[in-house]
Amino acid sequence: MGKRITQDDLYAARIFFNSALPLLRVVIESRRELSSAFRGKSFVFQVSALYPRAPGGKMATHFVVENGRFTVKVDAVHPSPDIELEFSDLHKFILFFSGRGMPLPRMRGVLKNAATFASLLRALLLMASLLQASDAPKKLQDQVLLVKLYFYLLPNGISQLNKAGHQKIHQWALQSPDRAYAFAVTGYPALNSYLRVKEGNSKAGRGEYPRCKPFLTLRFDSPRHALDILMSKADMIDYISKQYLTVEGAPEFAALIGEFLFTVGDYAKGLYLDWKTE
Amino acid sequence: MGGMNYTAVESTKMATAEIFGKTLVELGEKDPRVVALTADLAKSTKIGDFQKRFPERFFNMGIAEQNLFGVAAGMAKGGLIPFASTFSVFASMRATDQLHTDICYQNVNVKIIGTHGGTSFGQAGSTHHAIEDIAMVRSLVNLKVIVPADGYETANAIRAAYETEGPVYIRINRGFDQTVYTGEHYGFQLGKGVLMTEGDDVTIIANGSCVFQAIQAARVLEYDYGIHARVINLHTIKPIDREIILQAVEDTRRIITVEDHTVLGGLGTAVGEVILDSGHACAFRKLGLNDCFSAIGFHEDLMHINGIDTENIVKAAVHMMQHAQVVEMESGGRVVKAVRFEGRDLEAEIDWTDEV
Repeated sequence: MGKRITQDDLYAARIFFNSALPLLRVVIESRRELSSAFRGKSFVFQVSALYPRAPGGKMATHFVVENGRFTVKVDAVHPSPDIELEFSDLHKFILFFSGRGMPLPRMRGVLKNAATFASLLRALLLMASLLQASDAPKKLQDQVLLVKLYFYLLPNGISQLNKAGHQKIHQWALQSPDRAYAFAVTGYPALNSYLRVKEGNSKAGRGEYPRCKPFLTLRFDSPRHALDILMSKADMIDYISKQYLTVEGAPEFAALIGEFLFTVGDYAKGLYLDWKTE
Repeated sequence: MGGMNYTAVESTKMATAEIFGKTLVELGEKDPRVVALTADLAKSTKIGDFQKRFPERFFNMGIAEQNLFGVAAGMAKGGLIPFASTFSVFASMRATDQLHTDICYQNVNVKIIGTHGGTSFGQAGSTHHAIEDIAMVRSLVNLKVIVPADGYETANAIRAAYETEGPVYIRINRGFDQTVYTGEHYGFQLGKGVLMTEGDDVTIIANGSCVFQAIQAARVLEYDYGIHARVINLHTIKPIDREIILQAVEDTRRIITVEDHTVLGGLGTAVGEVILDSGHACAFRKLGLNDCFSAIGFHEDLMHINGIDTENIVKAAVHMMQHAQVVEMESGGRVVKAVRFEGRDLEAEIDWTDEV
């Protein structure tokens, strides 16, 4: 019998399935050498973990690829994917994707689609190497991609935790007026992302917040300085004083959103496994 | 409860207050008659910049607002141009008698800078919320009243006050304002409102910190509902810009006012008086504190609680669009506009132009 699944495990699994895994498409689309490997191909790729309490007995995210174009389906189990990585339980899935262990999943369709799987594996490894790195990459191209991954992952993760009923985040969302928190790097509009929160509801979005000026924007002056903060390599107050980071809008609320970003980070890095609350 | 200090940035580096301080120094350089007075709030009201540059022209009256205004009136009588700065709540109420008798009745050239207007010093509590100041000062004879929207407009207001003979009351926020202008050169004129966004469905008239919220609301109304909202920054409440208000009534027939102030006697009342006086019919709603004290907390949260943030302006506008129908009817052989709001039929405007 496997280890008991805690609420924190479910939060972490939700972040991996719904926030992190979908970034695979971003990674592939950002690198020509990766996207060209899928040109003209159509298939379904699924990552899943068995969990008896989930509908159908497993949790999954799958990618429907049609002529090389990826569509992400979160919270959805595909009945017959062409390629599937299936973990025997949520713990193994979390250990694998948080980089804290290497429990191998059951692989289906790999031999039959060896070339496609190899390309997927390259993309997965690139994503993992970026997200699990402890230092910022040296190449600007990699820095930009990693900032994009963080900017897409973290607001999405907060939104997912809210939707999953995470006590502190959901309580905050319930009390929130209609507000948007945006993330930006000057000169890199493609990196923009945001989180809209209103009376218990939340939505993570990509690009510039379209409705109005966000309630608060965390704006970095460069991808490198963004990574320094996102990877906890620098002090936020210090960076604000040096104007590497500006808080546009309502600065008093930056601390709270910052705390939630790190909450997501703690789940994504598996650090919650070290907590002694359960 | 939130802390009184910002964690990330020193308050003295923020826009409005910084610009206010610099502008006053600029005027001091230009004109030796400019003097600055405070009631023991030099640092909080940012008038301390002037103190550093011109210590001999700076006067701290202590915690004695009545003296502050009395002395300022005397200095003005002596030919100086005093800028007296304290919190809005103290300027408008603690020293009302001196403001009335020493400054307004004498019509002396004193400029009053009321800082921490509205609920902008939200964490400090009700004793420091200035939610009635505009109602108080608007009624005083000779006193001109300006509520700038951001730091740039504050600079313009300070200069306009300097250039205008007689008493002027400028209400600014604590200093952490959103910026609505990109610079100072947008055509500020004392007594003239600024059209911030074009629109012909509904007009939102705001001042101070509510201008930013109104502009954002207009964007949301356009994006979510396809409603074209006109936003007017009515920075000067007295003398009021009748023309821009009546044009908005004529064009949109739906008016919403937004102010960080009680709805009794402030911007909304002033706009309402203009409309009532004109005899024009329109749907009309005032957003602000409804005869109540504010809760205590961060300004952004209080704006939401008090119904004057973007979200609440949007709600009010959508409600008005749903319930205030502009209809056309025939009257005297002409087609005229009428408005129907919440079940009340308001009379069609009558065209009194003589036929020729």
